[in-house]
Amino acid sequence: MIQHPAAKNFPKNVDQALKNETLQGTLRQVSGGFVDSRATARANLPEFDSLRDAARYMKNHTLQHLDLYLEEFEQAAKNAGGHVHWAENAKDAQQIVLDICADTNAKIVSKGKSMVAEEIELNKALEENGYEVVETDLGEYIIQLRNETPSHIIAPAVHVNKKQIEQDFRIAHSHLDPDRSFVDSSSLVREARHVLREKYFLADVGITGANMLIAETGQSVIVTNEGNGDLTQSLARVHIVIASLEKVVPTLDDASTVLRLLARSATGQPITAYTTFSSGPRRASDPDGPEEYHVVLIDNGRSKMLGSDFQDVLRCIRCGACMNHCPVYQAVGGHAYGSVYPGPIGAVLTPALSGVEDNKHLPNASTFCGRCEAVCPMRIPLPKMMRHWREREFEQHLTPAAMRYGLRFWAFFAERPKLYHFCTRWANRVMHMSARGKGRFSYLPFASAWTRYRDMPAPEATTFQSQWAKNRK
Amino acid sequence: MSARDRILQNVRHGLGGSAARDVTKSDWIKTTHAPIPAIARRNGSERTTQFLNNFEQMHGTYSKLKSFDELPAMLSQQLRERNIGQSVRMGPEPDFSTLDWSNMDVSVGPGRLVEPATLTRAFCASSETGTLMLLSGAKNPVTLNFLGETHFVALKSSEIEAGFEGMWSRWRASGHTPRTVNLITGPSRTADIEQSLELGAHGALAVHLFLVDDLDTKDAT
Repeated sequence: MIQHPAAKNFPKNVDQALKNETLQGTLRQVSGGFVDSRATARANLPEFDSLRDAARYMKNHTLQHLDLYLEEFEQAAKNAGGHVHWAENAKDAQQIVLDICADTNAKIVSKGKSMVAEEIELNKALEENGYEVVETDLGEYIIQLRNETPSHIIAPAVHVNKKQIEQDFRIAHSHLDPDRSFVDSSSLVREARHVLREKYFLADVGITGANMLIAETGQSVIVTNEGNGDLTQSLARVHIVIASLEKVVPTLDDASTVLRLLARSATGQPITAYTTFSSGPRRASDPDGPEEYHVVLIDNGRSKMLGSDFQDVLRCIRCGACMNHCPVYQAVGGHAYGSVYPGPIGAVLTPALSGVEDNKHLPNASTFCGRCEAVCPMRIPLPKMMRHWREREFEQHLTPAAMRYGLRFWAFFAERPKLYHFCTRWANRVMHMSARGKGRFSYLPFASAWTRYRDMPAPEATTFQSQWAKNRK
Repeated sequence: MSARDRILQNVRHGLGGSAARDVTKSDWIKTTHAPIPAIARRNGSERTTQFLNNFEQMHGTYSKLKSFDELPAMLSQQLRERNIGQSVRMGPEPDFSTLDWSNMDVSVGPGRLVEPATLTRAFCASSETGTLMLLSGAKNPVTLNFLGETHFVALKSSEIEAGFEGMWSRWRASGHTPRTVNLITGPSRTADIEQSLELGAHGALAVHLFLVDDLDTKDAT
C-alpha cells in the first residue's frame, strides 16, 4: 500500500497502483457506483443544469465580494456568541486550534471529516502536542487505524476492502471478543458505532469542517450521512469549525442552490441524511450542545488565487464528481497523486496551494477528455486550468528535457505543413503495414509502459487530411 | 497588522484593490436568483404525497395520526413492533407534555450513551426531498436527534413546506435563533465499506415519523 507518497513521485506511484490488484478491485466499484448514481440523480432533476449555472453565478458573485462576505459572516457569527479566528497559513491554523485546546484543558479531541484539516495536517499537530485524536467518520476512522491518508474526497477509505478493515478492527479493538465473526459489512459498521459512541462523550473538543459558511446568519453547515459530525459537535464542550475562506455563501437561499447540487453530484442522493446549520454555543436554556463555538477561517494560499487564472477553482464544493469520472483517477486511485486533493480538482488546486515545482506531474495526470468539467456542478473549467499549469511548468523549465526536445521536434514539423503531411503520410503507411492487418500493436519499442496494459491502436493507411482531400473531390 | 487584516488586504488586492469595495451593503449582499425546481413547488395533497414518498425513499417510515392525542398509543405500538421496551426519551415539548403517557416509561432530558428510543418534535419539513427540520433548544435537545437508536419524530401536515425556500421563510418568520438547525432525511447511513449502503452508522438506525394530519388536503394549498 502506498503510504503518504509525495506528488513528485507520481509516475512511480502510478506504476505501483496499477500493479496493486486489491486497489484495482476497489477502484472498479468507484467507477460503477458513484457515476451511475450521479447520472440517475441528474436525470431526475430537469433543472439540474440551470442550477449549475445559477451556482456558478452565485459563487462568482461571492468571490468578487469575498472580503465583504467574510466580514459579514464574522459579524453574524460573533452576534450568535461565536469566536472567529483568522489563519494565514497551515501553521497558524494549527496553533489557533492548539491554543483553544490548551485553554479548555482538553485531552481528547473528536473529529468529523474535513479536507482542510488534512490540508493543514491538523491531526499530526494535535498528536505531537499530546492530544488523543479520534476520527469519527467511518472512512476516516479506518484510515486513521491504518495510518494512511484519504484517497477520495468523500470516500476516504474507498481503496480499502472489507477483509482489510476486519483485520484492522481485530488489531485496534483488542478489548473485544477475539472469536467474534464479521459476517458482513453491517457487523463492521456496528462495531465502529459501538467503539466510537463512547468517544463522543469523552471528547473535550469536537472539530468539524464546513461545507458552507452563511454570511446572512453566521452559521457553519455540514453535510453528512453518518451523523458523526453532529455527535462530534453536540457532545464535546467546545466545537471548533475549520473552514477555508471560499466556503462562504451569501444567504440561506444560496445555500439551497448548493445543497440541490452537492449530494446529487457526490453520491447521487437528492440530499444527505443530515444537513446541519450551527451558530454559536448552546443557548442559555439549552440542556446540551457545546459551551464554546469557534470558527477558524483559513487562507493558506486562497487569497493569492483571487484575480489569477485559478480563481474559478475556488468555486469548488468538494463533491468529488470530477475524480469519480476521471479515467486517470479510476485507473490509479487517490494515493498515487500524493496530495490531499486527488483527481482533477487536486491537479489544479494542489499546485496553487503548494507550488507547481513539487507538483508538476499533477496537471499532466489528465487525458483532457473533459469529463471533469462536464460533470462539475460549479462548472469549473478544470482542463483549461490544468493547461495553464502545464504552460507555467514549461515556462519555468520544469518539463523533463526529453519532453521539451520532443515538443521542439514536433514543432519543427508542425510549422512546416507540407513536410508534416509528407512525413505523417509515410509514417502512417509504415505503421499500418507493421500492424499486419490487426489494427493494433501489442508491443511497440519505447512504448512498453502503454502496451504492457493495453494495445496501441494502429493508424489507418491514409491520413485524415488525405481522406478529406479525396472525399471533397 | 493582524492576521485578519492581512488576509482581507490580500483578498482585496487580489480583487483589484480597495476602490471597488466602496459599495453600500444593499448593493452586494443579496440572494442570487436560482431556479426553484418543480419538485420544490408542489401544493396541496400532492405536496404531502411527495413528501411521504421521498421520506420513504430515504428509508424513513411513517404513521398517520388524526391528532396528538393518538401519539402515546401509536408510539407504544411502534415500540412493540420493533421489539423495543416501552420506554422513550424526549424533551419538555408542550405538544408532548400534555399527553397521557401513563402506559410508558417516559424520561425527559438530553440524550445519553445508550438510548433505544427518542422522540422529538419537528419544526417543519420539505416535500422536495422528504426532509424534516428540527431546531435545537430546551424543548427538543439536539442530542436526541442523533443518539436514539430509533428516532421518532412528530410533525403536522400543515408544517410541510414545498422546498428549502419555504422552510427558510417559516424559520425566519418564527424568530427562533437556535444553536443548530438540523435537516434530517431518514436514518444515518454509510457506504464507506466497499460502497455497500448500511443504515445506522453513528446516528439513528431508524427514523419513524408520526404525521398528525391537521389539513383537509383537498383544499390545502
